Amino acid sequence: MTDALRLPPDLPPNLPDDQLPRVLGEALTGLYTGEPRLPARAGGRTAGLAALHAWTGEGYAGRNFLSGNVSRLSMYLRHGMLGLREVAAHARAVMRGRERDEFLRQLTWAEFYRLVLRQEGARVLGNLEDPKYPARWTDTLPDDVRGASTGLPCADAWVTHLIRDGWLHNHERLWFAAYLVHWRGVDWRAGYALFREHLLDGDIANNALSWQWVASTFSNKPYFMNQENIDRYSGGRWCRTCRAACPFRASYGELETQLFGTQP
Amino acid sequence: MTASQVRRVVWVHGDSLSVTDPALSACPDAPALFVFDRPFLQAVPVAFPRLAFMYQGVRDLAAHRPGPTELRVGAVPDELAAFAAAHHAAELHVTRNFTPDFARIVDGLRAARPDLRIIVHEPERLTSFNGPLRRFFGFWKKVEREVLHGEPAPDFPQRGHR
Ligand SMILES: Cc1cc2nc3c(=O)[nH]c(=O)nc-3n(C[C@H](O)[C@H](O)[C@H](O)COP(=O)(O)OP(=O)(O)OC[C@H]3O[C@@H](n4cnc5c(N)ncnc54)[C@H](O)[C@@H]3O)c2cc1C
Repeated sequence: MTDALRLPPDLPPNLPDDQLPRVLGEALTGLYTGEPRLPARAGGRTAGLAALHAWTGEGYAGRNFLSGNVSRLSMYLRHGMLGLREVAAHARAVMRGRERDEFLRQLTWAEFYRLVLRQEGARVLGNLEDPKYPARWTDTLPDDVRGASTGLPCADAWVTHLIRDGWLHNHERLWFAAYLVHWRGVDWRAGYALFREHLLDGDIANNALSWQWVASTFSNKPYFMNQENIDRYSGGRWCRTCRAACPFRASYGELETQLFGTQP
Repeated sequence: MTASQVRRVVWVHGDSLSVTDPALSACPDAPALFVFDRPFLQAVPVAFPRLAFMYQGVRDLAAHRPGPTELRVGAVPDELAAFAAAHHAAELHVTRNFTPDFARIVDGLRAARPDLRIIVHEPERLTSFNGPLRRFFGFWKKVEREVLHGEPAPDFPQRGHR
């Protein structure tokens, strides 16, 4: 066997975490953005299994609240560190009733998007359908959005969380996507690229197709929210002390007319 | 030649970072390789923590499988071809993913090493649905029973769709 092993490995497969940013950072020089630092959650099947077994799913009915008990397993599922089947089996074993059904339904979105990617291939990176409103989108991500300096405490927090944690709650993803595409008039692909850069769970299927769902190029209508919705599901986190001119403070009907030009 | 005599290597990619990966499970003792894709990362911005997360995934499976596991930085088809050659491998095993990159890399490898047999294992699925898809709601109606109860509905078509 010894003669077969001619190529020395580029990187040892057993770097401890305290050496990882330095050694991996050097090996990958020029191949990443930002500072070399450890992810907010540790990677690997062992860590993924520990997270899965620690998760009881209690309170998942409140999943739409930022304070809701969601699993945060997406980064393990994305990299195959956990399988959809074992996560489903765990949910069937430890969860009950409507909460269990709701969790399994959410998990099925991940399977759905994977299968849409299998069906559509690289087409998922372009509009799968025409947008359902007269949209004129610009291609580039505005600097104030990337720099978390829009002056809107909520929107700036979404970007800050994304970059700091590599993970965002589903509702923050939805709000940010709607803000970028509908309020700022930016093509969803610029948001997709920002998410791909920073999300630990970022992938082609869930990421591109969720953006398209918000943009209405893979759904029957655009997704959008108003201030009341943000206030309620964030538990007043930003709105209570906010002094900004809020672009979201209106009824759904008014916003619909303003954003999409349609009568409520 | 019997299967046990054939020299095999495994390609581990970013969607299969677990010892339970079908290709790795099929070849527990074979040398496995993970490649940080240099041309891709040069073209596409990715923040460091994500790459560290993937490294931790490779480290974890290296610690849990009997065969050796290696990491390289480079162009994936080239690195796989060199790895297979260094191990005198006649077969390369990998688990399919649905990204356009996967097909491109397998094609590149086939062109570079026509003599290497590439065995593609199918990834794990949550459902057995194989029909065309359009909206989640329609999909959910077809797979609901299977997902909620863990078994296909008795009348569930195994091939195709209604
Ligand atoms: C604009 C946008 C971009 C997104 N990009 C990604 C992405 O790149 N990768 C990714 O995995 N998810 C993506 N999502 C979907 C969803 O936000 C995350 O999967 C979820 O927030 C992960 O948190 P969790 O693991 O706690 O989810 P839980 O609520 O605990 O759900 C468990 C699992 O079910 C799946 N799931 C739940 N909700 C969804 C959903 N709406 N769509 C698809 N799968 C779901 C995920 O695999 C998740 O880990 C995106 C959503 C939006 C709106």
